[in-house]
Amino acid sequence: MRIAVLTALASVSLVACGQNATSTNNEVAENSANSVEATESAATPAPAPATKEEAMKVMHERHEGMEQIGKSTKTIKRALDSSSPDMAEIQKAAATIAELAAKSPNWFPQGTGPELGKTGAKPEIWQNYPDFVAKDREFGRAAQTFDAVARSGDLSQIKAGFADLGKTCKACHDKYRSDMHH
Amino acid sequence: MKLPIWDLPTRLFHWLLVGLIAFSWWSAEYHYDDLHIWSGMAVLSLLIFRLLWGFFGSSTARFANFVRGPRAVFGYLRGQWRGLGHNPLGALSVIALLGLVSGQTVLGLIASDEDGLMQGPLVNLVSVGTSDAATELHEELFNVLLALIGLHVAAILYYRLRGSA
Repeated sequence: MRIAVLTALASVSLVACGQNATSTNNEVAENSANSVEATESAATPAPAPATKEEAMKVMHERHEGMEQIGKSTKTIKRALDSSSPDMAEIQKAAATIAELAAKSPNWFPQGTGPELGKTGAKPEIWQNYPDFVAKDREFGRAAQTFDAVARSGDLSQIKAGFADLGKTCKACHDKYRSDMHH
Repeated sequence: MKLPIWDLPTRLFHWLLVGLIAFSWWSAEYHYDDLHIWSGMAVLSLLIFRLLWGFFGSSTARFANFVRGPRAVFGYLRGQWRGLGHNPLGALSVIALLGLVSGQTVLGLIASDEDGLMQGPLVNLVSVGTSDAATELHEELFNVLLALIGLHVAAILYYRLRGSA
């Protein structure tokens, strides 16, 4: 029993040491041509979809898109944590995120909040829309940048770009996503 | 002379655990991911201490001295128990609370949020599916833990009001 307990203790301390903080590195140039320029002037949300069905469709697309982004970031995280990261897998997931991120400005028209149906989108999105848009734009920028560095194949730049991307996800989710989003 | 029934390490364990469970809830609720993970690691360390103390600690802290079978529990309920420390029914509560908190820390080690941004340190030892299931359980078991803590506090109030004799 004593040995088992000591082993447990030892493994806990190992785990504690293995927790390394990720650092950001912004030296990656913003070299994306097709970022979300289309929404540059969108300080007000798009008008509500004409019918409830259309609004539900937007919410569905948003949900699926966010889920896909989440799955992709999980895949990348796992790949980066492994001893020999699968570069093709990372590149594919990075491209998926960039593609969906470019669509994300269209996912939040008026009237697609919790008043319509089950969603993790908080009403604050539409109350602070300029701030929300700024955060979404940051996300779009980080996603395009990350896609570009993923294609370059430079592992340290990929790690930095991924940390940067994660921060833009979190900045928005902490403020505008409710915990009832499953 | 008055002797304390529970020794200082056991009391420290108890109150540190109370603080850390509250802190764990707060850090998860307000998205302080790193703090939540460190809080969980601190809880795990406390539990390992308590496990050791349950074998090598002072008399009232040792599991062998208070964990009893169903007969002793029913005997206690009929008023046939004289002793110091945890009574046989209270022992069940201790085991349930320790077990649940242990389960929470282990689940937390392999849990992940839906984006993989906040992950337990051992998440890569299990599949994504297992991690997702552990995460869900980690969230749901917290409510069970709250219920047990409520019962624990209610029992203490009951004994206080009734008098401990």
